[in-house]
Amino acid sequence: MATTTAGDMPYQERSLFVRKATGLVRGWSVQDAFIYATFSINLITLGLYIFSYGPFIPKASLLWAVLLSGAYLLFQTIVYSSLIAVMPRAGGDYVWVSRVIGGGIGFVLAVCGWWFINWHWVPIYANILEKQFFQPLAAVIGWDSAVTFFGEAKGLFTASVITAVLAAFFISLGMRGYAKLQKFCFYGGVLGLLIIFALLLFHSKDAFINAFNSGSADQYHGPANAYQATINKGSYDGADNLGSLAFGTTVLLIPMIAFFNLWSNWGATLYGEVRGASDFRKNIYAMAGALVVTSIAAVIFFLLIAKTMGWDFYNSANNAFWSGTDSMGGVWPYPVTLATFFISPWLQFIVILLMSLWFFGWVGTVFLTASRVIFATAFDRILPEKVAQVSKNGVPYYAILIMFVPSLVIAYFYAYNATFFSWTLDATLVIAVTFVGSTVAAAILPWRKPEIYNASPIAKYKIGPLPLITAAAIAFLAFLGFCIYKWLQDDVYGSNDTGSLIYMGCLYGIALAIYLVSRIVRARQGMNLKMVYNEIPAE
Amino acid sequence: MRLFFATDIHGSETCWRKFLNSGRHYEADVIVLGGDMTGKALVPIVSDGGGRWHATLLENREELEGEEAVAAFEDAVCRRGYYPFRTDPDELRELADDEPRWHRLFHDEMLKTVERWMALADERLEGTGIRAFVCPGNDDQLDIDDVVQSAKKVELAEGRVVELDGYQMASTGWSNLTPWDTYREEDEPQLAERITRVVDQVTADPERTIFSFHCPPYNSGLDEAPDLTEDMKLKDAGRATKPVGSTAVRQAIEDFEPALSLHGHIHECKASTRIGRTLCINPGSSYEQGDLLGAVVDLDGKKKIKRFLLTSG
Repeated sequence: MATTTAGDMPYQERSLFVRKATGLVRGWSVQDAFIYATFSINLITLGLYIFSYGPFIPKASLLWAVLLSGAYLLFQTIVYSSLIAVMPRAGGDYVWVSRVIGGGIGFVLAVCGWWFINWHWVPIYANILEKQFFQPLAAVIGWDSAVTFFGEAKGLFTASVITAVLAAFFISLGMRGYAKLQKFCFYGGVLGLLIIFALLLFHSKDAFINAFNSGSADQYHGPANAYQATINKGSYDGADNLGSLAFGTTVLLIPMIAFFNLWSNWGATLYGEVRGASDFRKNIYAMAGALVVTSIAAVIFFLLIAKTMGWDFYNSANNAFWSGTDSMGGVWPYPVTLATFFISPWLQFIVILLMSLWFFGWVGTVFLTASRVIFATAFDRILPEKVAQVSKNGVPYYAILIMFVPSLVIAYFYAYNATFFSWTLDATLVIAVTFVGSTVAAAILPWRKPEIYNASPIAKYKIGPLPLITAAAIAFLAFLGFCIYKWLQDDVYGSNDTGSLIYMGCLYGIALAIYLVSRIVRARQGMNLKMVYNEIPAE
Repeated sequence: MRLFFATDIHGSETCWRKFLNSGRHYEADVIVLGGDMTGKALVPIVSDGGGRWHATLLENREELEGEEAVAAFEDAVCRRGYYPFRTDPDELRELADDEPRWHRLFHDEMLKTVERWMALADERLEGTGIRAFVCPGNDDQLDIDDVVQSAKKVELAEGRVVELDGYQMASTGWSNLTPWDTYREEDEPQLAERITRVVDQVTADPERTIFSFHCPPYNSGLDEAPDLTEDMKLKDAGRATKPVGSTAVRQAIEDFEPALSLHGHIHECKASTRIGRTLCINPGSSYEQGDLLGAVVDLDGKKKIKRFLLTSG
């Protein structure tokens, strides 16, 4: 509605008369969308894990890297909110790329980035499950053999099986059940995080040193004065750099941080009809809000860690862990474990359990997006229709099967074969390449699909002569290009392994082969897959 | 026989024109529009005097100067599936305060559009040999049936069985109850009776029978819609979905096992599945974007249809 006047009296002019019809809803909650985006850029699971790699780029500032990348990635939220506004309910990267650029490219990028690569994310998730759930809880209750078990290959494989089973189970719950579970986990997880913040805020550094020394000795059989031992063994030049910008090195942390904050675009794609620009803005608020709030929460966490634990200690503990000289029996220095050394073991157990909700609300995502891509490609008849079948209870059992079984095979080799492990290091890179596809699609969309673009609520947004979607896409492409270049060029990210590149290349090759074989098979069956995307003339 | 099926175009001028061209584009013998062909909203274009107008589309206010700009805006509104009308501030104010009056206006604009569409169909389909069927859906008012029936080249399929080159197609656009209290919806038992009345007219074998029921079968993967709160907002930002299809439709498919069952109604649920031997399709709808989602199906008289594509035209 717009305010205007008729005669002398101001009144709210009605700009739309909507009759009763299916699908007309009053809107959706930004808060809900924010919750799910916040789960995607998960500060606890992804964030704390990747922050521990900070020492690999000495002198860089983790705090500034999070802030700078968080601010820049607002362009990503504009790109994806724009794509959703132009092609809502479309099914994500696969549909955007296949409709704007081409079916083959869309299929290869989406299948590699959202399906094949998620097999490899199962052991990565499992690694986090071990470090943030099994090992800390086992240590609290004094179950040493379990702590050891989950630090070994068989423990990692077991955690991978548990991760895959949980993800499959949550998918089989259906979207409604999973959404409820995520909401419960979000509020529980936030409560846990506030408790951690309070523990760090209201305790002194001296109290932490004492608590850590006794906690590491009691639960992890660490040495006497483990705090100082950790600093002695793990400290490095620049370990105490919390807030100094050091731009040249800090910027090199950003491709690493992307492991955590590149995912705000796992946002909603289902909206009501007869809606417009406000939905576009709400979408940005939800995704950007999640990015900003998570970045701020990370900074608060850093400041509290620096105040109570000491920033040099935090970095030293991480460095010592990765170099095998730690004072916690070879167990990852989970900041939640460290912060809960202040309280009694049973309270510590409860808080770690509460914080594990950040994992359990998130674990389903490892299969969820893959299932959407599998469905979309099956409906386009590239994959066999069988894979999109659901049971009478709505369970997509074939889709689950083709995600679950390969992920276990991958997890087995990941856990037991060091060479194979090194091949999987490009897991983030492959998804970023998929984002490149969608971002290129976004950049050229106003010219490739002018009718759809001009009919969308975002057509009027421009930056100078460029459509906003194009300008934001160019900016986001620069970010992705920088990250991909650094991942490929610099050893420090662990992703320029030749074996890994060949292996990932093979995955792209398999995806391309599936597409080409499918085209040939369908053509022999009398179906031209080109018909799927060809636009009918509207004259 | 090749059949093209689309559904839920909700007043989109672009989608209707694409539908009329779909037979030639996909080399189809028969084209079927599965329901919900009428629009959902009226958009006022308000005169500011002196050849200046203003209007709002998709929450973006436009200032229009001259006939050309107004006509272009009207085209954009029609492409989106809404009905534009020209007015002045005083009339608009009266209209806003008088719900029956704007409902009448909506009704008139809607009927005018359907009449124009049928005339366009008669012109476009003449001499093509392509048979076109329309079966209005739950969002379509009952009196559009008469308008469709008056067309020469479009056949009304509602509530009857039609012969298609050795096949029979049984159709209804009625659905089970929705939260929107639409024009053609009823309880499951009544819907089951309605479906039975239509299916009882079928004399062909199941492998030569097509169902065209607007409402998809319950819990089939073709009927997942966003769950709503009591005040009609999307729960969990649209992530929480639940099956809303019809148990009566599902029962009819399970009992009769037709070769093909065509559905719509749930726009966001583009999908295909098998219930027994029956291929069930909901091509979904992106009418607001002018994208005609559809299904091309080759029927060969065998027990199981294997050649079909979901299209995005």
